[in-house]
Amino acid sequence: MVVFALCVSVAFACLGRQTTAGRIKYAVWSLALFLVIGVGIAWLMYPFSR
Amino acid sequence: MATDAPLVEKRNNMVPAVALLVAIAAWAVPGLGHLLLRRWGRALFLFLAVGGLAVVGYGMRGEMFNTRSSDPFGALGFLADACSGAFYFLGRQLESSGPDISRAAGDYGTRFLAGAGVVNLLGVLDAYRIACGRKH
Repeated sequence: MVVFALCVSVAFACLGRQTTAGRIKYAVWSLALFLVIGVGIAWLMYPFSR
Repeated sequence: MATDAPLVEKRNNMVPAVALLVAIAAWAVPGLGHLLLRRWGRALFLFLAVGGLAVVGYGMRGEMFNTRSSDPFGALGFLADACSGAFYFLGRQLESSGPDISRAAGDYGTRFLAGAGVVNLLGVLDAYRIACGRKH
């Protein structure tokens, strides 16, 4: 999940922002959101898996 | 005024054809479209992102869909995989032992391959917009 989020975040940052600082910020933010939302959804689905 | 109009018209007629060629190049090799447009950073990171997703997907023995799928999901999967361009056609070389979706890793690999195609599609659209002059 981390590898997927990293690759996609890098691509989104390159395509969505023009400056280097903006791209780095956007990539980090996007990566954090991917991971938090991914883990969050996994925990939300946990009761249904039991 | 009358002499300017044909030049403007000629420039507008050329741009869509060149933009289409750039888009095709961007599809064929991830990042090539941006390379042709002299966007070096975008070209490199797009190639690394799409290539990274594809290589990891093949390494996890994900399934690569083909045109012979009988269900709509297979057809959608083929469209997503094919959008990764050269990495789709190099699939057999990169994944010599074939797909293995009996394990969870193979399932994740299938998603990685589809993700590579979708990310490359975004790159194609971006390169096309830059070539058309709609984006810097």
